Amino acid sequence: MLAVALGATASACSLSAQTLTQDEALALAFPGARIERRTAYLTEAQLARARGLAGEGVQVESEVVTYYVASADGRSVGVAYFDAHRVRTLPEVLMVVVGTDDRIRRIEVLRFQEPPDYRPPAGWLDRFRGRPLDRELSTRGSVPALTGATLTANAVTGAARRALALHQVIGPFEASK
Amino acid sequence: MRIRATIPSAALAACLLLSVPAAAQQQTDSARLAAVERQLQALTRELERQTLGAEVVVADTAVLGFGPAASKVYRVGQGVSIGGYGEIVYNNYASELENGDLRPATTRDVIDALRGILYVGYKFNDKLLLNTEIEVEHVREIFLEFAYLDYRFSDAFGARAGLLLAPMGLVNELHEPPVFLGTSRPLTENAIIPTTWRENGIGVFGGVGPFAYRAYALSSFDGVGNAASGAGGFSAGGIRGGRQRGANALSEDFGLVGRLDYVGTPGLLIGASAFTGETAHNRTLPATGAEVGGRTLIWDLHADFKVAGLDLRALVAGATVDDVIELNALRGLTGAGSIGEELGGWYVQAGYDLLRAAGTTHQLIPYARYEALNTQKEVPAGFTANPANDRTVLTVGAAWKPIPEAVLKVDYNKHSNEADTGLSQLSVALGYLF
Repeated sequence: MLAVALGATASACSLSAQTLTQDEALALAFPGARIERRTAYLTEAQLARARGLAGEGVQVESEVVTYYVASADGRSVGVAYFDAHRVRTLPEVLMVVVGTDDRIRRIEVLRFQEPPDYRPPAGWLDRFRGRPLDRELSTRGSVPALTGATLTANAVTGAARRALALHQVIGPFEASK
Repeated sequence: MRIRATIPSAALAACLLLSVPAAAQQQTDSARLAAVERQLQALTRELERQTLGAEVVVADTAVLGFGPAASKVYRVGQGVSIGGYGEIVYNNYASELENGDLRPATTRDVIDALRGILYVGYKFNDKLLLNTEIEVEHVREIFLEFAYLDYRFSDAFGARAGLLLAPMGLVNELHEPPVFLGTSRPLTENAIIPTTWRENGIGVFGGVGPFAYRAYALSSFDGVGNAASGAGGFSAGGIRGGRQRGANALSEDFGLVGRLDYVGTPGLLIGASAFTGETAHNRTLPATGAEVGGRTLIWDLHADFKVAGLDLRALVAGATVDDVIELNALRGLTGAGSIGEELGGWYVQAGYDLLRAAGTTHQLIPYARYEALNTQKEVPAGFTANPANDRTVLTVGAAWKPIPEAVLKVDYNKHSNEADTGLSQLSVALGYLF
């Protein structure tokens, strides 16, 4: 009984390494909004365009893209893309939220399997807010490097580019009009 | 939260034509569309579950009697993490010393598979993990470079124990070749902060607001040296020889080491670290029977700034060693061979990625580093300082990275010292990490 109580207390502490579910992440990004789950089936031409937009070194593999459009008072307020990728040898899952201005609104880490020391800090993720898909969206552009976590910085930046590239190709806000 | 799902009508129609059997065509179009929509919804949900992981997609439910939040730790994926890095270095030495004399016959050009490293970690759960680094140096020397367990109570506080890297300077904890500029590590972080410096110990770590900290108690240096650990002891060239590297380490003396960094501005790391501890491990002088302390203090201030293709770095470090006369006696050092009572060094370094705007993954980074160090700034009365230990090094070179994880570096290192016996070198290094 004591062990159970101690375990529950410890688990309730703030621990950024813990997993966030999709529902929790969407509730964080769009509190009170109506969420619509959609799936896009990309043509070869669309896939090629997404790859071109994402840029060299960023893989865009899947023709099936599921995304979540949020709306409030009958108007779209944003869209969330979930991106799974490898950091060093283990996976990371991010939610990239894009606003109606086609710029990143926020990035949340849902799952991070590498050692916690390499997890992207919240302050660094905040630096993506408001960024469009352009050349500066890169660790060699204006995204600051993460000292000691180079692979994490590259992985997150690649995911952000991939989400924005797919976003441009899919045009989720146009489809909802 | 209620999530509604929709499927594009074109995809639905295509699936309908391909998959609906003839008998079902008697149903209304709307009923068939609804059935296919459900099937596609299930398929895309399954695809998402496979891609993102069940613990992310599956609705939150309790496990083992805990509430959803408390039971999360049981659903987190577990397992082995593998990584590594390596470097192969070629050193081509000048034929003459700084003063024009021929270089010593014992100094020959070499190419060395300097390091091959394998990281192996195991994440038991989100709080407890094991991290190890197994290193092969010069092809045939094997070391356990670190092996520790972390228990993370919260982001602000965790406990760490095992064979630990001393948290000092910029290189000791972060020394993967693609991460730092230069074919070799700065001399200051070799002779004064003796990278790679690791000892057995226990400590705490965490982050509070914009600050990150680590503080450990470690088995101390052995300033005298002992065969069991392989430590050679302190010398005129610095304190590097005092490392016991966790191998049968004398532990009569423990040291305290810690660092505090400001990490609140992405791309910028600025901080300080320090170590203090006695280093003679209760040895006594044969002549008098007096116990020797040999307290050693090492400190450093450091800054690293990387943004928009710029890579800037600066560090200043110093050390003091007490009871040097006694340590010299125990080591049999005389004259200019004395251990320094005071040591000091600093360096500044800058690089810039010329290809950052070229739309390619390739990076071409010319860089320069200047450093000065003296491992015998002060020696006790009755001993002399060797002017060859008062050194400067100017490094100019370039790094090419086809991808961020692989690098080829070439640089020229102009070595100078107060004895005019500096020996410059051209170096080439191939490095990787994964």
